[in-house]
Amino acid sequence: MLYYIYDGSFDGLLTAIYDAYYNKDFPEQIVPQDSFTDNFLISKVYIRTEEEKSKKVHDAVLQKISRRAMAGIMYAYLSEDENAGISILEYLRFGFKVGRTVDSYLADDRVNNINRLVTKVAREKHLLAGIIRFRLLHNNIYYAPIEPQYNTLCLLGKHFADRMSDQIFVIHDVKRSYGVFYDKTKWFMSDIEMNKDIVLHENELFYQELWKRYFDNITIKSRINPKLQSNHMPKKYWKYLIEMK
Amino acid sequence: MNLNEKIKILSDSAKYDVSCSSSGSSRKNKKGGIGNAAPSGICHSWTPDGRCISLLKILLTNYCIYDCKYCVNRSSNDVPRAAFTIDELVNLTINFYRRNYIEGLFLSSAVCVSPDHTMELLLKSVKRLREEVNFNGYIHVKAIPGASNKLIEETGKYVDRMSVNIELPSGESLKLLAPQKTKESIIKPMGLIKSGIIQYQEEKLKFKSTPQFVPGGQSTQLIVGATKDNDLKILKLSESLYSSYKLKRVYYSAYVPVSNHPNLPAISGPPLLREHRLYQADWLLRFYGFNSGELLNEENPNFDELLDPKSGWAIRNLDKFPVEVNKADYYTLLRVPGIGVKSAQRIVQGRRVSMLDFDDLKKLGIVLKRAKYFITCKGRYFPQKSIPTNAVSIKNRLLLEDNIKNRGNIEQLSIFSLFPGIMDGEF
Ligand code: SF4
Repeated sequence: MLYYIYDGSFDGLLTAIYDAYYNKDFPEQIVPQDSFTDNFLISKVYIRTEEEKSKKVHDAVLQKISRRAMAGIMYAYLSEDENAGISILEYLRFGFKVGRTVDSYLADDRVNNINRLVTKVAREKHLLAGIIRFRLLHNNIYYAPIEPQYNTLCLLGKHFADRMSDQIFVIHDVKRSYGVFYDKTKWFMSDIEMNKDIVLHENELFYQELWKRYFDNITIKSRINPKLQSNHMPKKYWKYLIEMK
Repeated sequence: MNLNEKIKILSDSAKYDVSCSSSGSSRKNKKGGIGNAAPSGICHSWTPDGRCISLLKILLTNYCIYDCKYCVNRSSNDVPRAAFTIDELVNLTINFYRRNYIEGLFLSSAVCVSPDHTMELLLKSVKRLREEVNFNGYIHVKAIPGASNKLIEETGKYVDRMSVNIELPSGESLKLLAPQKTKESIIKPMGLIKSGIIQYQEEKLKFKSTPQFVPGGQSTQLIVGATKDNDLKILKLSESLYSSYKLKRVYYSAYVPVSNHPNLPAISGPPLLREHRLYQADWLLRFYGFNSGELLNEENPNFDELLDPKSGWAIRNLDKFPVEVNKADYYTLLRVPGIGVKSAQRIVQGRRVSMLDFDDLKKLGIVLKRAKYFITCKGRYFPQKSIPTNAVSIKNRLLLEDNIKNRGNIEQLSIFSLFPGIMDGEF
């Protein structure tokens, strides 16, 4: 069994795809090194990430397949699904063969596998746009901790930067220890190491209380349906929701 | 009175307004400003009743000079009253928005002092939000029946959506339950908003800089089950609201018993299932090319509570089935029970590259539970021992399957439509 092992970055993954084509030797799995477990049946190829190779794959996808396909593999990658790497490779091989029309082959597993992952990530992205909660800190920074299931946070930088354009904010992916930062002019991503406790602004709890009050009050008691609630907003996201505390 | 108490009183009375949608507008943020609108709408939370919270839905005041029988705020009702100052309201909206609790504001009001007085306060509030605080998030405002044209038109310039709630679907019902309101006083502002929107759309084609006017469109709400009006009457009304008044949405609100006035029906709980059927039928009107006459008629003026309207229609029209999935056009596919807009689109896209069989349909994510009685793939029915082809047995099968799934939990049906059309966009 041939495994390609890459550094976990998107560039790394695209480099692996480039190498697979270049070596004419297609692996059975493409996995990030962090989640790789060795066994003696596996023969390993370690991929050295090279931006130039990654760019070539990127350009080829845009040119020979479509912009949508590029976005699709990006989303699939962000799903962190254990088969994402190999699914992307198979999808691209098919895509390079049939070109633009690839996404019409909805019933083909190579396309379907990617679409399934895309749907999951797109859905979480949309959900997070709504359920991220900022807390105002003593230093006037708006801070939002969150633990997404997929690696979706990077897809939300633009959304919040456009929207909250006059406030400094940090959205913190606690699970993956990085965050989206915005300084009133541009947004960027960076690792986060928490070494101090956060200190809330003196008004923060006041607004949290008002929000909770509103939330409790707007519920129509004769229509209670907790199952419906958690269908829309799965419990795994409740941890940082002010109104669910 | 402190803000905490005001929120309690003023959101309490606003909660029966079911609309919370923040969709349909693509207002952009301005330099140094805060907020924008997302065309698909965004839900920010879901309350324990399963409804989406998108907007801060609140009344400016619940002091009312009118005495509509079905309403908690009626003047004869002994409830605590409150009013926000404009500052309080603006402050609350902005602080909720900055924390990403909400997508914007849905501001409504009881009729305080006079319709004009109330409308003026609403106008002042939204103007302050837009012009002084530079807030560009979503705003939905109620137009108050009886307020002057000028005030309503002026308000339209600042908001994304406007609505006038019809509430009672006929003139007779109005007389019975809201004698101080007339049909005319409700229809007039609706007509005004409609012409404002049309004018804006025409001018926008000529001049890019035309100031916006209610870009998210107009909506209304009908109460279901407070009067004798049947489903046919309600659906016919919705149909003409969509065609003649160009409404974006009609919302249906199952009447929640709030009073035991003799003119009101004595019911123990809101008729949720009926509300749900009306929403389903409403979707059929807007996205599936049905008209009200196909779904109901004078002999059958109410929906079968047990069966969804589309299945009901299909069973009455079995001569139009089965439909061959590989040949039928898009609109014919849409009429198959169990096949929705997304499924029909996928079928049309997928069959371009290869003939589809039942396994392919499953891979396309199409649920065959209902559809299998009404379709063929490559000329064959779904491979199952016996596929019934007569109306009675198909109906029984459908009911059987529903009951197995929903036993003892009818409320579960009261779903969807209460949240903006999410999750379909993007991809
Ligand atoms: S005018 Fe509106 S708030 Fe006042 S009683 Fe009638 S429905 Fe209620």
